[in-house]
Amino acid sequence: MAAKKPLFNRQMRRISELDANIQAGLAREEAERAKQAEAEIETVDYTPEQIAALDPALFEPAGFNEEDAERTGYSNYSYWASTFKNFWRNKVARVLIIALIAVLLFAFLQPIFPGQHDPVTINNDPETGIQLMNLAPSSEYWFGTNAIGQDLWARVWAGTRVSVFIGLVVALSDLVVGVIIGMIWGYVRKVDKVMTEIYNVISNVPQTLILILVSYILRPSITTIIISMCMVGWMAMARFIRNQVVIFRDRDFNLASRCLGTSTFRIITKNLLPQMVSVIMLQTALAIPGAIGDEVFLTYIGLGLPTSQASLGNLVEAGRVLMMQKELRYQLIFPAAVVAFITIAFYIIGNAFSDAADPKNHV
Amino acid sequence: MLEYIAKRTLGAVVSLFIVITLIFLLLRMMPMEGYFGAEYDKLSEETRASMLAEKGLDKPVLTQLVEFYKNLLKGDLGKSWIFRPNYPIAKILEKKIPYSLKIGLISMAVSLLVGIPLGAMMARFKGKLGDKIGTAFIAIVEALPTAVLMLFVQLYFSSWFNLSLLFDKDNPSTWILPILSISLLSICTYAMWMRRYMIDNINMDYVKLARAKGVRGGRIMFLHVFKNAFVPMAQFLPGSVLSTIIGSIYVEHLYSIPGTGGLLIDVIQRQDNTMVQTLVLLYAAIGIIGMFLGDLLMALLDPRISFVKKGDDR
Amino acid sequence: MENREIILSVKNLNVRFSLRGKSLHAIRGVSLDVFKGESLAIVGESGSGKSVLTKNFIGLLDKNGRIDSGEILYAGMDLAKFTTEKEWAKIRGKKIAMVMQDPMTSLNPLKTIGWQISEALILNRGMKRAEAKAAAIDILKDVGINEPQRRYRQYPHEFSGGMRQRVVIAIAVACGPEILICDEPTTALDVTIQSQILGLIKTLCRKYEMTTIYITHDLGVVANVADRIAVMYAGDIVEIGTADEVFFNPQHPYTWALLSSLPQLGEKGKELYSIKGTPPKLFGVIKGDAFAPRNPQALKIDYLVRPPYFEVSPTHKARTWLLDPRAPKIEPPEIIKRLHDLEQEGEAGEADE
Repeated sequence: MAAKKPLFNRQMRRISELDANIQAGLAREEAERAKQAEAEIETVDYTPEQIAALDPALFEPAGFNEEDAERTGYSNYSYWASTFKNFWRNKVARVLIIALIAVLLFAFLQPIFPGQHDPVTINNDPETGIQLMNLAPSSEYWFGTNAIGQDLWARVWAGTRVSVFIGLVVALSDLVVGVIIGMIWGYVRKVDKVMTEIYNVISNVPQTLILILVSYILRPSITTIIISMCMVGWMAMARFIRNQVVIFRDRDFNLASRCLGTSTFRIITKNLLPQMVSVIMLQTALAIPGAIGDEVFLTYIGLGLPTSQASLGNLVEAGRVLMMQKELRYQLIFPAAVVAFITIAFYIIGNAFSDAADPKNHV
Repeated sequence: MLEYIAKRTLGAVVSLFIVITLIFLLLRMMPMEGYFGAEYDKLSEETRASMLAEKGLDKPVLTQLVEFYKNLLKGDLGKSWIFRPNYPIAKILEKKIPYSLKIGLISMAVSLLVGIPLGAMMARFKGKLGDKIGTAFIAIVEALPTAVLMLFVQLYFSSWFNLSLLFDKDNPSTWILPILSISLLSICTYAMWMRRYMIDNINMDYVKLARAKGVRGGRIMFLHVFKNAFVPMAQFLPGSVLSTIIGSIYVEHLYSIPGTGGLLIDVIQRQDNTMVQTLVLLYAAIGIIGMFLGDLLMALLDPRISFVKKGDDR
Repeated sequence: MENREIILSVKNLNVRFSLRGKSLHAIRGVSLDVFKGESLAIVGESGSGKSVLTKNFIGLLDKNGRIDSGEILYAGMDLAKFTTEKEWAKIRGKKIAMVMQDPMTSLNPLKTIGWQISEALILNRGMKRAEAKAAAIDILKDVGINEPQRRYRQYPHEFSGGMRQRVVIAIAVACGPEILICDEPTTALDVTIQSQILGLIKTLCRKYEMTTIYITHDLGVVANVADRIAVMYAGDIVEIGTADEVFFNPQHPYTWALLSSLPQLGEKGKELYSIKGTPPKLFGVIKGDAFAPRNPQALKIDYLVRPPYFEVSPTHKARTWLLDPRAPKIEPPEIIKRLHDLEQEGEAGEADE
């Protein structure tokens, strides 16, 4: 990742500005905390002399205010506020999420920036008319050119767009399909047994194998690759949701709700779902790098997108072929670095958020 | 206990049957041109029809399925189409399986012997520097796509340690990188879960009681916590057989190991349908058998198991 | 009661927890003497710090908690100064043992109960395995488990909740401790089994000459077993005395409130008494009497200065300004007087909750 730092000057500056603000905020928080800890709590009893010196007027009833009594235990807790506060406290995740947003924004806005090359156009030398093959990174071609003279910089961003798009669609599908099926699976007792049996059979087969098989049967294109990933991905989510639903379904608060005549839909959305936010978010966040990784893998085994379509998988694969030539290694390093950054960022952010969203970690 | 084993055996056999049937049927849903590979366009209508008839593909799917099972029971896996035309697949596999098996088993042993103690140590010294480095390392390995990670391993480790990029069965040093690549992921998975289960168990009441009755640190960790943490791991083991399989598919091809994993990629790229079918079935079967063995192992370790039904685990 | 030998003495103990950067003052200057051979009950609602207090006695405070100041004196040692496992090894089990709340989770599911009892015997009494087995079977008999020979080889999941609690007690007894801490020993059990377990602990303590400390929020339990009662509120002991003194002559408004909310005292047709509000958060500074905001009879001074202990009798003291001569005379609630009547009625029947 260090390799592309100089190219991101503007973003990096913005990030470092933001980071300075954050640091200042943190320092303030720290100071307040220290102050709070300092406040000595009186645990030493008054001496008899001190007691004797007390003003008798103090020994009068103070009056009783029920509201005051209730306030002693008043809590200004809010789930989401607490979640975000916890999340923001995690330095690594904070820096990564800013960097990730910057990178993704840039990837999608890159074509409208001035002076960008087209990812598909084959660049020829204007004088000789020969393809500008395998040019090393330069001021004109920031990431160099590939074996047929296409601008690698533009291709990397085009590939990022495609791969992230695939990832987002797959993650969304996992989320929607997985949660709905998981809820039904866990909540409707009649379905549970059948579904569990089906799951036990399917889960015996490596998911990647299913992915390979489906991709093999459907011929490669963005749509089919998304379809095959969607077919595999929802299962883990559904299984998780099912387990959680079974755990929480018969807890007393749900029985109480049901006795009060709350509809099943409301019980599911209000009582059950919030319990699972933490892991749902994690699974969804991990589905994106997962899909990107799967795409790289499928491309390697020859079931990826056609080479005309730039994607991170294609670029990594194209770079891998040239890996043995040291001077051409940049063609592997650049796309691989982007893949590495995006996947690691999603992974760490997802985990940090899931920790933060777990009510067990709230004060 | 016996009842449990019988149940699980039956379950495994049924799973195997269902999965084989499903995979077989799925592959028949492939568009016609998929059966001919790159030559599809060059062939005339009649040639195609006669080629299909020759392979028995013109019959109804159910008939084909019955045929397939009959042959399978006889140990006949069919013949290759394109990879080595009309050569028995069983013969091809005969030469390939020993390599995959050896590498797979060594990798599993390495990952177990490194991953489990690593996770246990990280839990024991939770929050210390070693644990933090370990956690960060695991995060990176888990997060990076397998394909990219293994590329990095091949690219950099080979130059740093001056190891060969390709596999040579007679040169032991060429075994190191493939085995390392395959085990790396499993080591991290084991370590991560072991650490988590250990930490979960450390906070359990029974550990508090054990401490309250005067059991000391090391003994608690080993006799109480470790064993309890290892039980769910046992169920996890077969799952890692699966990840070893996937890892080996990629790694074998990357290092040109003449095993079944590399073969799968070859035949996918050449669209040899019978070969793909056989290999996918082979791997699915390994997966199911792995899961089954994991269940048995659990039953051996956990006295509660014969009382608890599987679907409600944990 | 006077001049009894003190076995454990807590002096001005302060315990803090750090929770996500905040500091929580869980035990606020507690002093307490435990007499040899007595059975002391520490009563309070959840979060009052009763569990935290006793966890200090065997060094099992959660990792984020620490002793800020104060002493815990036992057998000439200050337990508050202990830091290493090695030091604690001399105390835990051998001298002070603990029975925990939930028997369903406090046994190791993968070991036979015999193994778990034997482990205590081997570690604390240096027995050989065969010796330990015989002793463990004896103890199993002691705690009322039938067919101890067969039960010895069984796993926890083959026992019911009440039976498991007997096993947990057996483990504690096997250590041969001088002090037995029972942390809500019956809360997780069926009502019918509760009194059996309490009776068992009582008998065993007599037989093995153990001092017992009960932690409970259930005054019914207290009435059954305790010689002395300490009432805790917001990390502090607000009143302590013999069982009779606390039940029939309570002084602290919190004790009044606690007793008033006993369901047994409820009158038909009248709403059961409940204490308004919730206990204070222990994050900040608590000024004055922690209970004042929930106390309808609070005095102005209650909001300003923490009350010291006022002695009611040599064995009975309470932290409340109401006992100061300058304070107005406030009668305890009418309902508490019914306790006497109830006691007389129920003398024969034994309080069975």
